[in-house]
Amino acid sequence: MPTPFIMPKMDMDQETVTIIEWLKKEGDKVEKGEPVIVIETDKITSEVEAPASGELAGILYKENEETPVTKVVAYILADGESEADLPKVAEKSEPKDEEMVNKDEGTADQLTTQKAATPVAERLASALHININQIPSSGQRVTKADVETYIKSLDGVQPRVSVAATPAARRVATEKGISLESLTGSGPRGRVQEVDVLEAASTQTPETRKPAGIPATSIPVVGMRKRIAERMTASYQAAPHIYLTVEGDMTEAENSRKRLNALADKQARPKVSVTAYLVKMVAWVLKRHPYLNASLIDNEIQLWDEVHIGIATALENGLIVPVIHDADTRSIDEINECLRNLTRQAYNGELSKEEIEGGTFTISNLGMYGVKSFTAIINPPQSAILAVGSLVRKPVVIDENDTIAVRPILTMTLAADHRIVDGVTAAEFLSDLVGVLETPDSVIFQKIN
Amino acid sequence: MPEITYRGAIHDAMVEEMRRDERVFLIGEDIGVYGGAFGVSQGMLAEFGPGRIRETPISEQAIVGAAAGAAMVGMRPIAELMFMDFVLLAMEPLVNQAAKARYMFGGKAKVPMVIRMPSGSGTGAAAQHSQSLESILMHIPGIKVVAPSTPYDAKGLLISSIRDPNPVCFVEHKLLYKIKGEVPAEEYSIPLGVADIKHEGRDITVVTSGIMVQKSIAVARKLEAEGISIEVIDPRTLRPLDTDAIARSVKKTGRLLVVHEAVKTGGWAGEVMASVSESPAFDYLDSPMRRLTGKDIPIPYNRNLEAAAVPQEEDIEREIRAILNNQY
Amino acid sequence: MGTEKIKAAYDNLQTEDVLKKAKELGLDNDILVHMYRTMIKIRLFEEKADQLYALGKVHGTMHLSAGQEAVAVGAGFVTRDDDYLLNHHRGHGHFIASGADINKMMAEFLGKETGYCHGRGGSMHIADITANNLGANGIVGGGIELAAGVGLAVQMRKTDQLVLVLFGDGAANEGIFHESLNMSAIWELPVIYLCENNHYGMSAEVARVSSKVPFKDRALAHGIPGYFIDGNDVLAVYEFMKNAAEYTRTDKGPVFIEVETYRYFGHSKSDRNLYRSREEIETWKKRDPILRFEKLLIDAKLIDNVKVKEIYQEMGILIEKAVTFAENSPEPEIKDVMEWVYA
Repeated sequence: MPTPFIMPKMDMDQETVTIIEWLKKEGDKVEKGEPVIVIETDKITSEVEAPASGELAGILYKENEETPVTKVVAYILADGESEADLPKVAEKSEPKDEEMVNKDEGTADQLTTQKAATPVAERLASALHININQIPSSGQRVTKADVETYIKSLDGVQPRVSVAATPAARRVATEKGISLESLTGSGPRGRVQEVDVLEAASTQTPETRKPAGIPATSIPVVGMRKRIAERMTASYQAAPHIYLTVEGDMTEAENSRKRLNALADKQARPKVSVTAYLVKMVAWVLKRHPYLNASLIDNEIQLWDEVHIGIATALENGLIVPVIHDADTRSIDEINECLRNLTRQAYNGELSKEEIEGGTFTISNLGMYGVKSFTAIINPPQSAILAVGSLVRKPVVIDENDTIAVRPILTMTLAADHRIVDGVTAAEFLSDLVGVLETPDSVIFQKIN
Repeated sequence: MPEITYRGAIHDAMVEEMRRDERVFLIGEDIGVYGGAFGVSQGMLAEFGPGRIRETPISEQAIVGAAAGAAMVGMRPIAELMFMDFVLLAMEPLVNQAAKARYMFGGKAKVPMVIRMPSGSGTGAAAQHSQSLESILMHIPGIKVVAPSTPYDAKGLLISSIRDPNPVCFVEHKLLYKIKGEVPAEEYSIPLGVADIKHEGRDITVVTSGIMVQKSIAVARKLEAEGISIEVIDPRTLRPLDTDAIARSVKKTGRLLVVHEAVKTGGWAGEVMASVSESPAFDYLDSPMRRLTGKDIPIPYNRNLEAAAVPQEEDIEREIRAILNNQY
Repeated sequence: MGTEKIKAAYDNLQTEDVLKKAKELGLDNDILVHMYRTMIKIRLFEEKADQLYALGKVHGTMHLSAGQEAVAVGAGFVTRDDDYLLNHHRGHGHFIASGADINKMMAEFLGKETGYCHGRGGSMHIADITANNLGANGIVGGGIELAAGVGLAVQMRKTDQLVLVLFGDGAANEGIFHESLNMSAIWELPVIYLCENNHYGMSAEVARVSSKVPFKDRALAHGIPGYFIDGNDVLAVYEFMKNAAEYTRTDKGPVFIEVETYRYFGHSKSDRNLYRSREEIETWKKRDPILRFEKLLIDAKLIDNVKVKEIYQEMGILIEKAVTFAENSPEPEIKDVMEWVYA
């Protein structure tokens, strides 16, 4: 009779562990007491020992799988036993992942949700104008079934307002100019209470109160302005931003770009802009630093296989971020061409939905305004954004002999979501980025896939 | 200040008014030698004689009809019904005659009468002798409904009721007869239609009447020690209801609980809650308005079932805590 | 006084004997003619009310008492101005006999501000409180309910006013009938219970729905003197009322008088008289109280045919004036709808 290998429960309220590594594979011989699985719990990493000696067989849970405790994860075959002796595969009692991760996000209208929900549930709730916080979840997060059950319970009634809030909360929100949608309600069923509004109001900047008696032009916050306000607020509040600043000596990069542009002139092609150049470089570096090209969705970090870089573009009444798709596979000329088209379309208001969707990283360049450096707010659900300042010619030390030379210095500030990206990860990215900017040939002449 | 019982306060109010105004008389069953079913009219026969302490047959419709007829021609009768439950036999003269005479006769008639009636449960008298029917009475334009909760309120309000030129239903909770309270010896009256804050607070407004006032105050004092501050408002008059006072309090606290012994469905808690919703206090509500009432059942005989049929102190405390913890 | 119904008491007497009896009752010739005039006034008033209704000018319904004029006049001429009247829904005649202003009555039917109740009451609730007319009552037995209380007030104030409460055969089956009689009897209250037995409640014939008739026997069961007389004989009604008034004003207690009479119109305006035959109505019309009295007065040479015509004309004009007054009167203002709920 094969011995069941059961995942032990080590904490009182523990329900699952993550298998980091199987130290043995099926068919290997194990000894009783020998560490066979490396697991990670909320608290620490530890090892699970074999309950018996024999041959490891019938592994039910793979690495990186969330595994329920107190359940069978594998079997140990005794001498003479074979796989035919294994009991029929028991149903794995893991929380079913309802949907595959969907990369189709990044529209300007999406807000970071407060309540954990599957992407489909989110889309469904959003399409039906239901606040996801209002929906009771059957499990850890709100699923599509939960949304449907909730809708049934309302007899198909869509609430007229999107946020449940008490009259007192609404009154204070109106008085203090706070949008209820931006608040997390502490009341039952996610209802916003007066205290929630008061707390939000106390963290507001003084500029929100209109000083009396000063003439002004009133511009209502609607449309694009409103979306930007909401998105930026949500991003700022949801993602813990860390900021890292580097200075890059752009001498080589500028020379490289000049050479490219000389060739372009000869071939009557448009000149490569600084931004296009940066996009090429950043894309290359991102491929090697996947956490900077990632998103946090449903408690999972998705490391995107593709690199789609958005370029923050200022318009007359707002901001739009057209995306250069597959920036890592394109040549610098392609990138430049793409960027020129997108910019023109942006100014003409002709950008399509596809052209602003799907970004995995964003570059914001205010250098043309003489801004030396600045910090930007991450464009959700991306994990980082690069704020590029103006190229400043300044004296720097260029060798160990402390020789001073005047070089074009570019200051770049990376903002990263600390839920996804640690300081070191961000630093390594920046370091690489500076490296390729300072020795650009390695990238420029790289083979295009 | 002297302390007298609720029963004694009502007795004194009647005696004082009957001495002051010879038009006032008491009519009802067993009010003479017996002194009234709940002992309220003890000694009054000796002082005022059988003409003015007018004992009747068991004829509730005729008792209240007679009171209405006498009032219409200028007397000021006080009709005593033995149990509020029996007012149902007298609904015709109360609702179709007394309540309507002034209006339907074009403002020419006046029916200055008082109907006193013991209400409520807790004495094991069971379904037909334990009801709280003030919600039904409140529904009739032309009558006033008064429900005092303390001896001080009882005396002052009864004097005002007797002097009021309209038909007044004066509801006395049976369990209150024996409670004692301070009552001034000097003449005083309390205007009808004015609520009283029996216990000041900041966290929640509790609107309540009759015996529930006593229970709510006890809970308020208990929770005070935990820093929970409860405002207990006793409307004292149910029709007309002092909606302004209630709204002012709810504006202050943002939370409302109405507690009454009367049954939930169609009970006057709904009236209070609607009035708050209609008032500016609505904008200050920070949780749903709630009510804690008698269950929708006739009052049972068994002692424990009887207690379970209506709110008790534990229920009031639990409900207040639930509201303050945002459970609703 | 006897306890059986005194049928056609005056019919069998010679005219001069009737006149003699009338004088004994204190009715001189002028009063007799005035009684006659009042009966015609009531009859014409009811007929006019019927017409107005047929023309769609009256909102709601009406209960007309044509045929019962002798009761109204016979009783109404006994009561004093300070006596209390508790009327029923078929009480226009009683109101008129007690001296009401028919202008204000008509105005009330039309719901006008100048009506007795400023248009708030209508036909069923006409009252003149200051004249001690405590109102017609829409509740069958409503007056009975209030009567003992009014009598109690009179007794406590020690005046010699009496309370005349009018009701029909239908009300005699209400519970309050017994409660009120009982109370009046035990306290010996000055109440005259006048039961107009016109044979029908709404559509229910008395015999079908009443266990013990005549109703005066029920009064006797309560120890109250009870009489059953011909209600279409105005002098008989007057005689019994007068005796009852003397009795009750002297603190001897209540009296019950049942009068047999008949109504020509249906119960209310929606009544199509399905429950009685045309023959029955015609039979009763032969015993019409006005015609009977007219015959008596003509025989006694107190009036002649010319005078009859004159009186009909005179009353007709008064009633037309009342209609004109009512039609020209203003409606109540909507803004006053909340007035007079409370004193």
